[in-house]
Amino acid sequence: MSKLIASNLHRRFREGGQDLHVLRGVDLDVRDREWLAILGRSGSGKSTLLHLLGGLDRPTEGSVAFNGDDLFKLPGGKLDRYRNAHVGFVFQFYHLLPELNALENVLVSSMIGSSAFAWPGRKRAARQRAAELLGRVGLAERLRHRPNKLSGGERQRVAIARALMNAPDVLLADEPTGNLDADTSASIIELFRSLHAAGQTIVMVTHDDAVASAADRQVTLVEGRLSTSAG
Amino acid sequence: MYKLVLISKYLRRKLAPMFAALAVTLCTMMVIIVISVMGGFLDLLRASAQRLSGDVIVSAGSFTGFPYYQELIDAIDALPEAEAATPIIRSYGLLKLGDRNNPVEVEGILPEGYDRVVGYKQSLYWTTQKMLDAFDHRYEPPLDEYEQSYRDKLAEQDLVEFGMTFDPPAARKQRAGRDDLDAIVLGIEISPRNQRDEQGRYDINRSSISDDVTLTVLPLTSEGGVLDLEIKPRPFAVVNEFKSGLYDVDANRVYVRLDTLQKMLLMDAWEKLDDEGFPTGEKTQPRVTEVLVKAAPGVPLEALRRAVDGAVRKVQRRHADMPVLFTMTWEERHRTLLSAVQNEKGMVTFLFVIISVVAVVMVGTTLYMIVLEKTRDIGILRAIGASRLGIANVFLGYGLAIGIIGALIGAGLAYLIVNNLNGIQEWLAAWFGWRMWNPQTYYFDRIPDEVKTTDAVAIGIGAVISCVVGALISAFIAARQDPIEALRHE
Repeated sequence: MSKLIASNLHRRFREGGQDLHVLRGVDLDVRDREWLAILGRSGSGKSTLLHLLGGLDRPTEGSVAFNGDDLFKLPGGKLDRYRNAHVGFVFQFYHLLPELNALENVLVSSMIGSSAFAWPGRKRAARQRAAELLGRVGLAERLRHRPNKLSGGERQRVAIARALMNAPDVLLADEPTGNLDADTSASIIELFRSLHAAGQTIVMVTHDDAVASAADRQVTLVEGRLSTSAG
Repeated sequence: MYKLVLISKYLRRKLAPMFAALAVTLCTMMVIIVISVMGGFLDLLRASAQRLSGDVIVSAGSFTGFPYYQELIDAIDALPEAEAATPIIRSYGLLKLGDRNNPVEVEGILPEGYDRVVGYKQSLYWTTQKMLDAFDHRYEPPLDEYEQSYRDKLAEQDLVEFGMTFDPPAARKQRAGRDDLDAIVLGIEISPRNQRDEQGRYDINRSSISDDVTLTVLPLTSEGGVLDLEIKPRPFAVVNEFKSGLYDVDANRVYVRLDTLQKMLLMDAWEKLDDEGFPTGEKTQPRVTEVLVKAAPGVPLEALRRAVDGAVRKVQRRHADMPVLFTMTWEERHRTLLSAVQNEKGMVTFLFVIISVVAVVMVGTTLYMIVLEKTRDIGILRAIGASRLGIANVFLGYGLAIGIIGALIGAGLAYLIVNNLNGIQEWLAAWFGWRMWNPQTYYFDRIPDEVKTTDAVAIGIGAVISCVVGALISAFIAARQDPIEALRHE
C-alpha cells in the first residue's frame, strides 16, 4: 500500500537570471513501512524532492498525494497540519531551536498541534512521550540540556525524537548523517534501522552509498529524473 | 501554546528586548510624568482661579466701581441658581512692611460673606494650633520663662477670629496708640522673612503677624485721575496671613475690611456738595468694584451666569446712573491664563508623543533584528507545522509582551517619581543647589504630585498598542518567510 505518491513532479527555480529546471517529471511511490533512500550528487534535487514530499515547497508542476489527497490543493491550514501530524523532518544540520532544551525541542511539535486550551490536558502525556522518545534515542540523561551543550550526534538524536513526537506516517530525513563522523553516523543509521523494524516508513536523502545501502530500496536522481538503483 | 513558550524564552534570553522594554519604560514614564505635572498644574490653576473669584463675577471693569451693589446682591440672593454673593473692592496700593515698600493688590472684603463665596476662612494660614505646633517644633522643652509666657500668649489668641473680624487685639491698639487701628491680612509670601522648612511649614518667629504696617491707596475720580486730596499712609496691624496656594496671589495680595477700604478710596457714602461747596443733604451711594457669586449645588456655570446677568439688568433698569456691568464666569475671567497653560500642556504632550514614536520605531527595529536573527527558527517552526499566522503571532505577542512589561514598569516608576517629586526637588536643592520648580514662575509653591489613574492607564494602553503596531511589520515579514529559504539562512 502506498503512503505517498509523487506524480510528474517538476520544480523550476529562477536564480541569477537563469531558469534552473531541477526536477523534470519525477514519479515516486513511497510504500507503507518501507525505508526508501534517494541518492544523487550534490545539487541533483534530492532535498527539493524531499521538501515537496513534506509539503514544505510547492512544485511548478505535478502532484504529491497523501491518502488520496493532493497536498498542494489542500488549504494552508491543512497543509500545516500535514507537516505537523503526518510527516516528521530530520535535517542535516539538526535545526533545533537554540532557546529550548532537548525536552522542549521535542515537545514543540506536539505544542504546535495543540491549541492553548487543549494543551493543559495533553501536557502530561506529551511530556511523558517526549521523555520516552529521548530515552529511546539514548538521551534520557540530556533532557534539560540546551542544543549548544550537546554533541552533533546528540543533536541529531533530539531532531529524530522531535520528528517522531507526533507519530508521523512518514519520516523524511535529509542527509541525516551528512554532518556527523563515521561512528556517530553508524549509530544514527542503527537508530533508523530500529525505527524501521518497528514499522516506521522512512524516506532518506543521502549522497552516501554506504548509508543508502541500509535502506530497503534506493532510487537515484539523475538530471532531475529518478532511476531505480536497487530493490 | 508554543507561541507563549517561545515568547517567554526569547524575552529571557536576549538583551535586545530588554533595551526595547527600557525604551517603552522611559517613554511611558516621561509621558505620565509630563501629563501628571502639567495636568495637575492646570487643575490647581483652575481650582485656585475658581476659589479666588467665586463662580461668577459682576464687574464694572473700573477701579471706581459701581453703586447699588447691595440691591444687586439682594436680587442675586433671591435667585435659586445662586448660593451666596459678596461685594469686594479690588484695588492697588503700597504696603510698607519694615523698611520695604511693596506694591500690592488690595482687596476689601466682608469676611463672612467672602468666606461663604470663596472659602476665605480656610485660607487663613495661622490657626492657634498651627502656631503652637510651629512653636513646639522650634523650641525644645524645657522652655525658659520668656518662651513659656510667649507660648501661653499664643494659646490665648484666636488667630482665625482676628482674621475674620479684622479687629486687632487690644494690646496692639494700645501699642499703636489708636483705638481705631484696623487689621490687615497679608499673603503669606509677602513678608520676605517668611521661609518654609523642608516640610513646607512656615517659621513662627519669622511670621509678620505681630508686625505693624502702613497701607497707601489712591482714590480715583470717575475719569481715572487721582482725587486731589492729601494721601496719607494708614497704619494697620497684621493679624493673620493667608495661603491660597497660588503663589502670585500669596505674594501680592492683602485683605482689609470692605468699609475700611471704601473710606480710604472715597468709595463710601458721603454727602454731596452744591456748586458753592455747601452740603446738599443728599448722600452718594457707596461703591464696590465687583460682586462675586457662588453657584448653588449642581447649577451649571453658564446657567448661573445667565441668571445673574438677568438680575444685573433688572437693577440697571432701575438706576440710570449705574455704569455698564459685565457678568462673567471665573473661566472667562482667567481665560488667557488657563488657555495658555492648556496650550502649553498640549504642546509638551505632543512633543513627548513624538519622542514616544521613537520608542515605537526602536521596538520595531529591535523586533526586525530579532526576526532576522530568528529566520532559521521560523523555517524550523514552519517545517514542523507552524502556520504563517502562528509565526506572526509569536512576534506580535513578543511586541505585546515588551509593551506590557515596559508600560507596567514605566507607569510604576512614574507613580513613584510623581508622588515624590517635591521630595526629589528638596533633595536636589539640598545636594546640588538646583530647584527645578520656581514658584515665582509657576504660580504654585509645590509641584503637582498626583497621578490620575485614568491618564496612567490610557498612556499605558497607548504604549502597549504602539509596541504591537511597531511589531506588525516584523510579524508580517516573519510570516511571509519562505520556509526553505529560512532553513538555509546562515
